[in-house]
Amino acid sequence: MDDASLLWFNSKAMNKMEKALHELNEMDDLAAMDSPIHHLSPLAKLLTTIAYIIITVSFHKYDLSGLMIMVLWPILLFSMTGIPVRTCFYKLRIVLPLVMAVGLFNPFFDRAPMLMLGNVPVSGGVISMVTLMLKGVFCLMASFLLIATTSIDALCAALRKLHVPGTLVTLLLLTYRYVGVMTEELAIMTDAYHLRAPGQKGIHISAWGSFLGQLLLRSMDRAQELYNSMLLRGYHDHFHYVEMKPFRMKDALYTLGWIAVFLLVRYVDVAQWMGSHVMR
Amino acid sequence: MMIEKKMIQLDKVSFSYEPGRPILQDLSLHIHKGESVGLIGANGAGKSTILKLMLGLLTAQSGTVRVDGLDMNKENIATIRRKLGFVLQNSDNQLFMPTVEEDMMFAPLNYGMDREEAEKKVDRVLEQLNLTDLKYRHNHRISGGEKRMAAIATILMMEPEAILMDEPSAALDPCNRRIVIDTIRGMDQTRLITSHDLDMILETCERVILLDKGQIVADGRTEEILKDRELLEAHRMELPFCFAGPRYR
Amino acid sequence: MHMADALLAPAVAATMYVASGAAAGVSIHQLRKDDEQQKLPTMAVTAALVFAGQMINYTIPGTGSSGHMCGGMMLSALLGPYGGFLSMIVILAIQCLFFADGGLMALGANVWNMAFYGCFVGYYLIWRPIMRSHWFGEGRGAQRARVIAASIIGCVVTLQLGAFSVVLETSLSGITDLPFGAFVAIMQPIHLAIGLIEGLITAAVLCFVLESRPELLRDAQPAGDPSKHSLRNTIIVLAAVALVVGGGLSLMASSNPDGLEWALFGNEESGYAQNMGLDEEDFGVSSSAADKAESIQEKTSFLPDYGFSGSDSSAGTTVSGIVGAALVAVVALLISFLGGFFRKKKK
Repeated sequence: MDDASLLWFNSKAMNKMEKALHELNEMDDLAAMDSPIHHLSPLAKLLTTIAYIIITVSFHKYDLSGLMIMVLWPILLFSMTGIPVRTCFYKLRIVLPLVMAVGLFNPFFDRAPMLMLGNVPVSGGVISMVTLMLKGVFCLMASFLLIATTSIDALCAALRKLHVPGTLVTLLLLTYRYVGVMTEELAIMTDAYHLRAPGQKGIHISAWGSFLGQLLLRSMDRAQELYNSMLLRGYHDHFHYVEMKPFRMKDALYTLGWIAVFLLVRYVDVAQWMGSHVMR
Repeated sequence: MMIEKKMIQLDKVSFSYEPGRPILQDLSLHIHKGESVGLIGANGAGKSTILKLMLGLLTAQSGTVRVDGLDMNKENIATIRRKLGFVLQNSDNQLFMPTVEEDMMFAPLNYGMDREEAEKKVDRVLEQLNLTDLKYRHNHRISGGEKRMAAIATILMMEPEAILMDEPSAALDPCNRRIVIDTIRGMDQTRLITSHDLDMILETCERVILLDKGQIVADGRTEEILKDRELLEAHRMELPFCFAGPRYR
Repeated sequence: MHMADALLAPAVAATMYVASGAAAGVSIHQLRKDDEQQKLPTMAVTAALVFAGQMINYTIPGTGSSGHMCGGMMLSALLGPYGGFLSMIVILAIQCLFFADGGLMALGANVWNMAFYGCFVGYYLIWRPIMRSHWFGEGRGAQRARVIAASIIGCVVTLQLGAFSVVLETSLSGITDLPFGAFVAIMQPIHLAIGLIEGLITAAVLCFVLESRPELLRDAQPAGDPSKHSLRNTIIVLAAVALVVGGGLSLMASSNPDGLEWALFGNEESGYAQNMGLDEEDFGVSSSAADKAESIQEKTSFLPDYGFSGSDSSAGTTVSGIVGAALVAVVALLISFLGGFFRKKKK
């Protein structure tokens, strides 16, 4: 996002739905960028991301030094793809509060000192709080990078390869297609509402039912039209998907190589080893 | 004398959505092969209902619907729908795949075409319509005009014998509207177009059917009907802009 | 209530994925059986609408704060439990992937906490029974009242279950040092308030639909006799909930001696055998029949003393929990059948 867009985005003029649309379109644009990571098979990226998340989360709550090394993979990807880190960190606003709320209690219940930073004792609770938050951030970065480098149809092709049922994948594709349409309609309706109710912050109780209800009824008609247009083009009950391009050697190397690295970091205290060599 | 083959036939068709409020009553009309016909009339006159009856999306309560000699019934409906292409008024309801290319391949793949062959056909049709840039674009990101053209492209992939269009120039800027008009003029399939844009009808259709309250009140050459001020104004219409000019200046 | 990846251990996340996956498989199968595949466009459009609708700010009168709509109850009232569940999965997936609202590994858990309870518990245990009943009498007014009651009760109950599951899953994952009880005491009241607001909003929208196009709502008409089918489905849902909650709770039960047992029979190792004057081995009548029963019980029970024979692992406790919960469900079923049998006899 350039500075002008950022100013507009942050201004109160945009309602919540317009911001959501903006975010959706942004992820779309990022996925259309060009980098070696973008050209990798979506299956490779999906599998590596899942492995990264599982391994990151499996670190012991006191193993801060081991966990820290895991940040290197997302950072490497950010630099290889040119994707702005700012966009990723904006998304932290949703997940971090709950993680912090849970982690914040740890220093109160777990007070035994674990290590000394100079003269200051650091309790186990503080360490576990920090590892929890870091895990939250690292996992978010991994998911973000997956979607920022893989378009929805490529992702769905990968899901089909993993034998996720066709019904679910079709539903995901179709829903994604119409999320933008619905959000836009609601954004317009919300603006129209506020233009006639300038003092109100949200929808007044007298309109609770009809505001969404009207759009819901219109959407049912739209769904019928959509179904008709599918029927008219020969649809029975089978969706033909774009097939995923074949899994190549470099995709396999990428996946297996990184999983090996993650496992190494998990089970060998690399930081300790490095630190002990430095301190000799 | 050459007997023109009837492409679409409605014979004494009646239809109502609710009992006691008929939309169409004993309506008969024929569209011949190769004709380009404009279907005009006020809102609620029954234009969309006629299109839906032709496509088998609605079932007439009485009368017969025939497409290319085939009666509209359960056995023939799939064959009939293969012969007819329908461009919806709201392109968002027509373009439901993620990308333009996938949407264009939807119909051919459903009808059993090989994927490689379908991909080649996509390139041919896009080139024919001058839309090669749209191929990999996402349907939810393209503009209204681009959506309309993409929708037309998806229909042409079916190689239909007749194309039905519901308000094809609605909500388009003058430039996009001109592209749609030129595209329609370049088609050689049978065409049936409903529209309020009488100037477009004038440029694209040789025959016009004027509908009012479910009855056909005029059916003839476009030039004759669209120059008849009294006839048009009697049925909630006006002369096309290019004949009448602006009322207020 | 969307959980981040960091809040779950991989084992817990995997379990929830299996549970949600099973429910999804059942839903897909049922959809095909009922020939509702053509409902896919409707499901997609409605899901997209609910997704957008969750962003609407509803002003709560008198408080100045705002509420939001969930989606589970509304989706199952419009699409049925199976269609609703699949739609919720897709909504949660899009929220997770594109808005980082919930983690990728935690998706299975989020689907269970929000979609399973919202759609299956909400539909079979709350929406359908209320809508098909004769609560509030007959007529349009009564129907409206039923919609409101079902929406509010549905949202409150499903959110309570969901919040409790979040606590269970987080605690089982060993993420937080916050004691289980304290965690529950924080989560449940908050979600009670949220559930009430969501219920009112859902009620408002569904009442609107009832007034304009009642045919869009499931079970808008009260039925005569409940079908065998619906009773079976209700019991299956109850069993699934009992399985997960019971299994989770039993895992939570500490490996320390049971409080009651400790108080009654003492703990010999710690030297408290004489404290209460009772000894488990010597308690009760000693007889050859009792000895024989004990030896049979030892041989037939494959879960002696609440764990796998010879193993000390939590996995054993879980299996016990599951078996225990399943047995409870079977007994409940038996009781309900027996009760029905007795009622018929009285007539």
